[in-house]
Amino acid sequence: MAYDDLRSFLDTLEKEGQLLRITDEVLPEPDLAAAANATGRIGENAPALHFDNVKGFTDARIAMNVHGSWANHALALGLPKNTPVKEQVEEFARRWDAFPVAPERREDAPWRENTQEGEDVDLFSVLPLFRLNDGDGGFYLDKAAVVSRDPEDPDDFGKQNVGTYRIQVIGTNRLAFQPVPMHDVAQHLRKAEEKGEDLPIAITLGNDPVMAIVAGMPMAYDQSEYEMAGALRGAPAPIATAPLTGFDVPWGSEVVIEGVIESRKRQIEGPFGEFTGHYSGGRRMPVIRVDRVSYRTNPVFESLYLGMPWTECDYLVGPNTCVPLLKQLRAEFPEVQAVNAMYTHGLMVIISTAKRYGGFAKAVGMRAMTTPHGLGYVAQVILVDEDVDPFNLPQVMWAMSAKVNPKDDVVVIPNLSVLELAPAAQPAGISSKMIIDATTPVAPDVRGNFSTPAKDLPETAEWAARLQRLIAARG
Amino acid sequence: MNPLPVECPRCAFEEISLLATSPVPGVWDVVQCGRCLYTWRTIEPARRTRRDAYPDSFKLTAEDIENAIEVPAVPPLLK
Ligand SMILES: [Zn+2]
Repeated sequence: MAYDDLRSFLDTLEKEGQLLRITDEVLPEPDLAAAANATGRIGENAPALHFDNVKGFTDARIAMNVHGSWANHALALGLPKNTPVKEQVEEFARRWDAFPVAPERREDAPWRENTQEGEDVDLFSVLPLFRLNDGDGGFYLDKAAVVSRDPEDPDDFGKQNVGTYRIQVIGTNRLAFQPVPMHDVAQHLRKAEEKGEDLPIAITLGNDPVMAIVAGMPMAYDQSEYEMAGALRGAPAPIATAPLTGFDVPWGSEVVIEGVIESRKRQIEGPFGEFTGHYSGGRRMPVIRVDRVSYRTNPVFESLYLGMPWTECDYLVGPNTCVPLLKQLRAEFPEVQAVNAMYTHGLMVIISTAKRYGGFAKAVGMRAMTTPHGLGYVAQVILVDEDVDPFNLPQVMWAMSAKVNPKDDVVVIPNLSVLELAPAAQPAGISSKMIIDATTPVAPDVRGNFSTPAKDLPETAEWAARLQRLIAARG
Repeated sequence: MNPLPVECPRCAFEEISLLATSPVPGVWDVVQCGRCLYTWRTIEPARRTRRDAYPDSFKLTAEDIENAIEVPAVPPLLK
């Protein structure tokens, strides 16, 4: 089941019992953010939240926590809501192989229904904006799919980028924008600013649930997010032409904001409570002038709470960080079994791998650090044997406690690159990185006393199934 | 619209402008500091709207704003 817009997905969430409508009057602050924050504190399978009675507003519709549980993430991919995490990641990896799936262009985009242009643009009149965390410098758009093109190659569909970046509303038609240096839009902006030109940009809000997943996914520079969305949906992604920039944007967006990043200009931005569980900000960032807003009648404003994990952000970028790393590692090292990169967008990664020969697991760990995503993340890698499930943290802790001889199995490499937001970096953007090799040494690495492991009995799998049947039958 | 606040809770600057007003008249305004761009809704809790209740760790001074680094740095113009 592929969803073409946010609304149809919200309908499914509601039918599946995974959307909670809050109809009592709430305050814009702190209630909206506190409720979304609380979804991460009430156990597994929290629902999405929908608010339509917000103090002072007459016509606000706000959706939060849309991807904020494993049940909702499964439904976003069209899987049954009780699909285990590891199976969701495996299915994601399986669908990846269908890439690229060409998008389908449609002309009747519902966001063509309403328009504001030029002097008449007033974001506050279209969006019920609100603050998330106490120290945030203002109101943010933090779940947008932002489209930009390579100024040197504007007709290359693959180099057209769709990404999620933090965007602060600093005026009725002005936004402050954070392009992380490792991300594609930063390359687009640098090329434009070197020529003294503005960079056209389209910001799309309230998208279908797979669009949000691919916009936050670390992909190669010339890979199209739309073609990946098609692979993950199992159907071509519907796109339409944005009226001002001519960029390809999702057909089903609630709101499409178009304008330019003004060349060679920076303004104070932030702070903003980030996915690292820490604020970052107080820096001068690029500025966007909004020239046109297109929006559906009665738009739904989708926002995402982030702060101390776990929050919706961790569900949204968990599997979509695991799978690219798995694919990139396996391309060279088919021994790699599974990758768990779900902690802080892969600042820490757990990899299970078979060993080609002694020392091999450490090489896999180093390779993870030099993948495109690894250059900005992967500050810690734990390697575990092929029969250890990296998503099963008690098994990982067993491997660490039983297999690691710290003197030889912990490797620290100084002064590597990491994203500036990493709180432990020193200076910002530079960090040591660590490999913990918790695999069993193999020849010629003959260290330790691992010759007689106690494996599960051959009959155990059969008994596990039998016990589950008996328990189920007992009702 | 209600009278504008007199100072920024975050940096104490005294030029505050109006960005938005509540669709239901008179319930709240969204206002902004002319120096640090801090933006707040007038009915938010005191810890976000009043200088004397604003957390010290988030306060900014004129020097902080002037000395803030550019991210990303503006690149040199190509000839
Ligand atoms: Zn201020």
